[in-house]
Amino acid sequence: MSVFFGLLENVLEEGLIYGIMAMGVYITYKILDFPDLSVDGTFPLGACVTAALIASGANPYLACLAAFLCGSAAGAVTGLLHVRLKITDLLSGILTMTAMWSVNLVITNGSAVLPYYNKPTVFTSGFASLFPKGLRLHRIAVIAFLCVLIVKLALDWFLKTKTGLLLRSAGDNPQFLTSLAVDPGKIKIMGLAIGNGCTALAGSVLSQQSESADITSGTGMVVMALASVIIGTTIFKRVKFLKPTTMAVLGAAVYKACLSVAMMLGLPTNYLKLLMAVIFTAALYANNMFSKERRRQNATIKL
Amino acid sequence: MKKIISVILAAALTLGLAACGGKTAASGQEQKTYKIGVIQYATHPSLDNIYKGFLEGLNESGLKEGENITINFQNAQGDKANGDMQAKNMATANVNLIMGIATPAAMSAYSAAKEKEIPVIFSAVSDPLAAGLVKSLEAPGTGCTGTSDVLNLEAQLKMIRAFLKDAKKIGIIYTTSEANSVSQLEQIKKIAPNYGFEIEAVGVTNASEVATAAASVVAKGADCINNFTDNNVVDNLSTVLHEANAAGIPVFGSEVEQVKNGCLASESIDYVELGRETGRMAAKVLTGKADINTLAVKTFSTCTPVYNEKVMKALSLALPSDYSNAEAVKSGS
Repeated sequence: MSVFFGLLENVLEEGLIYGIMAMGVYITYKILDFPDLSVDGTFPLGACVTAALIASGANPYLACLAAFLCGSAAGAVTGLLHVRLKITDLLSGILTMTAMWSVNLVITNGSAVLPYYNKPTVFTSGFASLFPKGLRLHRIAVIAFLCVLIVKLALDWFLKTKTGLLLRSAGDNPQFLTSLAVDPGKIKIMGLAIGNGCTALAGSVLSQQSESADITSGTGMVVMALASVIIGTTIFKRVKFLKPTTMAVLGAAVYKACLSVAMMLGLPTNYLKLLMAVIFTAALYANNMFSKERRRQNATIKL
Repeated sequence: MKKIISVILAAALTLGLAACGGKTAASGQEQKTYKIGVIQYATHPSLDNIYKGFLEGLNESGLKEGENITINFQNAQGDKANGDMQAKNMATANVNLIMGIATPAAMSAYSAAKEKEIPVIFSAVSDPLAAGLVKSLEAPGTGCTGTSDVLNLEAQLKMIRAFLKDAKKIGIIYTTSEANSVSQLEQIKKIAPNYGFEIEAVGVTNASEVATAAASVVAKGADCINNFTDNNVVDNLSTVLHEANAAGIPVFGSEVEQVKNGCLASESIDYVELGRETGRMAAKVLTGKADINTLAVKTFSTCTPVYNEKVMKALSLALPSDYSNAEAVKSGS
């Protein structure tokens, strides 16, 4: 039984950390309606920046902040490519993602894997070292939860501010922004910056948990993040008191749980990607079903 | 739909629970059984050979799967995130030892097992110090030890010189993101002048660039191409061979599997033996005959020459007299 709870905790840890990224992708994909592929590059960017800083003795909290800022800068590049150079959304994401590979290698000084075992991280130093002994075993889950909570509250707050409202209308109704004499392009760039900042932060936290950074760790992040957002918003759609940001985090946890269960049941790793695609498809299909249902309901009300 | 999903999830979780329950019940037998978790980073002939050798090494030391050990074998399929999760699940399942094949798998195992003080045995890690896995090769002191494979570049260069008396330039294709390749390149650049060679290296970042790189190495006048243990280049060996054959120059491999696939010759490390030694070390740690913190890392650099006769004839070369004892391997065997 304790093994079961242990495994559950593993899933929770991973789900929470990837949840930070899912919240970022929620902003770009759901709010801005921008399929942002640069995530594959900004996730390892966060990890590499963190590894380089912590390995040279920087404060881990500072490293998190630096990762967020670097991710934001990369996101802004995607936005600038799309808005100013009029490159399509998919392509500008691909361009940033490709460029990030080289940037990450420069940051890690040419090595593909940068370990920093036994250096202070957010999980071992500062606030985490104050934990009483019983809690220390579960500190990764606790710290990950706190990180998610902070990011979630900040995003929820931001989306309610005037700028946040402008951001929300940029995806739904860009003409409305133009009528307010606001440049929708600028708002889009800002949204992408925030989204990729969150992604890089997730990369940073995950790298601090495994105490190493791997420049190939970004592969498949877009799919994972999109699947998390779609699964989360589909399954928990009817739960009124949940904010969409929370749904994204829960989606990431559900997604990780599915993979973990499949692995434990002995599914060969070769089929994991196929399983990912199947889960993703199921979520997309369910999403469409729901919207159809709702449309029908609306129609009956009108009648 | 929501209900269906939740039913499926609930069913899956219950099944998982049942599976865990079954395993814990089995471990309460009289005879001591050890649980070993093995993570292999990718499917790759050398790495497969290591796992084969590892099982043999355990058998030699009296540990047999199904009798007194249970092995949970996982392949990360080249994705470190998979490896991390597998390692964490093994640590949570309280295995007695985790074995990691290749550097990324060893690193996943180490970071997951560190807290719970589960011993970690690695294999095929070229530079455990740089990977941060051990404090020193003699006394690891980190709860982590194993075997390290180091390419014997001196022997390789000597062999190339024996085959090609007049060669001046060795072409090398390497992947810039693979730490092993970068350090091997530095080494070979240092020692190449001793054998009268110049190194013409071209870096690539992914599989699609290998063909261009091979063509550019050939165009720069390389007299032969030499491979490292570079996963990307080895996986695209046929592309390299295609360019080299078109120019009529030989390719030297870094292990026997590449020679089987069409390289001329190689000073090859025996990966089955590497695995066997790793298995023996694991058995010592499990049975308490050795302390993981003081068990020194074993470095393998002894190599045996192998060559491909068909390729040699196609290039109209002769086997050098110093290498008459070299083992001939057949293509595709």
